[in-house]
Amino acid sequence: MRSTPKQHEITQLLAEWSGGNQSALDELYPLVYDELHRLARRYMSRERKGHTLQTTALINEAYVRLVDQKNVQWANRSHFFAISAQIMRRILIDHARRHAYAKRGGGAQQVSLDEAAVVTSGIGSELIRLDEALQTLAKLDQRRCYVVELRYFGGLSNEEIAGVLHVSANTVTRDWNMARAWLYQQLTESGTN
Amino acid sequence: MTPERWQQISGIFKSAIALDSDARRAYVAEKCGTDESLRSEVEKLIAAHRQASDEDFIGGNAAEKGARLIIDPDEIEPSPSRLDDGQQLGSYVVLRRLGAGGMGEVYLARDLRLGRTVALKVLSADVSSDRRRMQRFRQEAKVASSLNQPNILTIFEFGEVDGLTFLATEFIDGATLRDALRGKGLKLPDVLDVVIQILAALDAAHEARIVHRDIKPENVMIRRRDQVVKVLDFGLAKPSEKRSPMATDQRSELETEMMTAPGMLMGTINYMSPEQAQSQAVDGRTDIWSTGVMLYELLAGVMPFGGPTTGHTLVQIIEKEPAPLPKSAAVPAELQRIVSKAMAKNADDRYQTAKDMLIDLRTLRKRLDADVPATDDTNVDVKKRVVLLLALVMAAVVTAAIFAVNVWRSRHEQPVVTTPTATSAPAVPERTLAYSITVRQFRNGREKTYTVSGEINFEFADQIRLNASSPQAGYLYVLNEGPRNGNGTPEYNVAFPTPTANNGSSRVTPDQVLQIPGDSWLRFDEQQGVERLWLIFTEDAIPELEALKKFARRETGGAIADVAANKFIENFIATHSSSKPEVEKSDKVTTVKMPGKVLLYPIPLQHH
Repeated sequence: MRSTPKQHEITQLLAEWSGGNQSALDELYPLVYDELHRLARRYMSRERKGHTLQTTALINEAYVRLVDQKNVQWANRSHFFAISAQIMRRILIDHARRHAYAKRGGGAQQVSLDEAAVVTSGIGSELIRLDEALQTLAKLDQRRCYVVELRYFGGLSNEEIAGVLHVSANTVTRDWNMARAWLYQQLTESGTN
Repeated sequence: MTPERWQQISGIFKSAIALDSDARRAYVAEKCGTDESLRSEVEKLIAAHRQASDEDFIGGNAAEKGARLIIDPDEIEPSPSRLDDGQQLGSYVVLRRLGAGGMGEVYLARDLRLGRTVALKVLSADVSSDRRRMQRFRQEAKVASSLNQPNILTIFEFGEVDGLTFLATEFIDGATLRDALRGKGLKLPDVLDVVIQILAALDAAHEARIVHRDIKPENVMIRRRDQVVKVLDFGLAKPSEKRSPMATDQRSELETEMMTAPGMLMGTINYMSPEQAQSQAVDGRTDIWSTGVMLYELLAGVMPFGGPTTGHTLVQIIEKEPAPLPKSAAVPAELQRIVSKAMAKNADDRYQTAKDMLIDLRTLRKRLDADVPATDDTNVDVKKRVVLLLALVMAAVVTAAIFAVNVWRSRHEQPVVTTPTATSAPAVPERTLAYSITVRQFRNGREKTYTVSGEINFEFADQIRLNASSPQAGYLYVLNEGPRNGNGTPEYNVAFPTPTANNGSSRVTPDQVLQIPGDSWLRFDEQQGVERLWLIFTEDAIPELEALKKFARRETGGAIADVAANKFIENFIATHSSSKPEVEKSDKVTTVKMPGKVLLYPIPLQHH
């Protein structure tokens, strides 16, 4: 069996986490974050022309890099995708915040109305607002929040999500409809204020 | 809102959205009873649901949308500077750009010293900045090229000018094996001829201790004039060197580097051998595996390994036996044996040398020739051959599109302008359609609009409009076939009819000039490749094509979001592709004629 110490460690952590050990997640998270972040940046610098980032390709690549292919169970694989979706969300929000921050001149306390308008018009602010709405959703309905996270941030299909959450694909579709409608409502309402 | 309230709302919402509007109102009213605020919340959510799905709210994926956030524009490394036509690089003058691959851009150029035409590959910074890799490449490419094997692309020079690393090679006028595969494949004897030539190249290289490591259809070219096969890019693949068992870390680094080499991320891991997939040491037998995978694909029309994700594919390569080749008279059992032997998981069970495999294939080839003299005609279904022939024509079109600029230019210089006009009524049913393309380009802040009769090279953001007319009445449908997606199935978009152009009708009256798509333009997006604009001009309306109108929405770019409809189009095109259109090009107009009641013609659009 050929695996690097890092691969071995991550594969092990995934197994522990799948087995219910929550503290394994704390160790896993930064390792996967670093890798996904690095890949995303590298991918972007290479793909300058297209400027598109395919989440599924990215996560797959991270998976191939980080996880020992021969010693991993399929169940752990879906856990990896679940955590990756969460991390992709984190990475994008971190960047969106940094952008918003930079635009305000490095964190000046006062934001003039004009500048605020600039900041809130971009994709970054859209993501930040979506993230906030998702946090509220998580308190109301954790599973529907996962569905959005896995689909929108993790690039997973409904069938894959069904596998991760142990529900039927129909349930995923229903969850998605409800969550999306609610998020849309939240974002359009707060957007017109 | 409390979680309880949420559950209550979602319970009603879930059932309500499945109902039509009257039933829904009744259902919601019944469920909410006297709770007015509940009813109002449910109604608002249902309205939001409709709008969200109309607008495709959060329909894509976040990373795609937020990609620009991840990297600041000034952090992005400069792309390899594109060379302009006429620009000089050392002793080479660029004639035109031929295309781009994973390793960089390729130009047709003239070597001023020796007065010969060459292909100039300018390596991307990503590749050329890797010193170790360049060193190895320089060495291996030189050795491979010096073998003077006719099936190995000859390298003239490996140089560096103004910080650009380039490779000057012989220029092959032809198509890649990938192009040939796209067009539904080759005839069995042609398949054997191609693979035999690839093996001859590998045999010579392996003799010189050079492993290709990245044998795949994109790296094999077939010269148009004589069908001679050329294997490209020897030594250019990322090496996966043999390392001591201790150095696991380094090896893994190499492994992952290999997987992420440009162009390898998406799809091309399918030709990787099990030892490459597991980052073990590789030798010539890795190339034999990859050749086996290609042979399989050429025969079966699908790749033997290919999962929904990279991870799946790798596991398949390492563990799964591919499905047996389809049993048919055209694929003798002997071929199954040869393919299986080339694709043995354990390298020791494979053909040990390219020559062994070559001999088996050559023997089979001779046997097929010697068998019944009419082997070809009896063994291969005649109908299938027609399709295959057409497939070859299509592959040629790809290259033709590349050269279309010059053809057009030379035609342009002739002052003769022949305007296609209504011809006398044909004795046999025949369809005629004339078209031109209006191009709108934005270069250096200026807009340029002009009209051409044929195919030219397009770039991102270029816009086109199709002008079509016919002396005959009929029904016109225009579909755009985009570059193939990962599983090799084409995706169609409807450009005409739309609900707005021509009053929403596909009906064309004689000599009516139709502008497609109406007042707007077709715009090239960032995805590169060869697209086709299918013109379908029929005597009678085709209900299934009429039904496509509903997909002609600006927001979706006319994407046909329906599997059955896509399948219908694919079948329709296949069924009506048997007769060959007669094409006549003048300065500004192309006229296509085809016997029968259906005219079908693909305008290739080469797009960088």
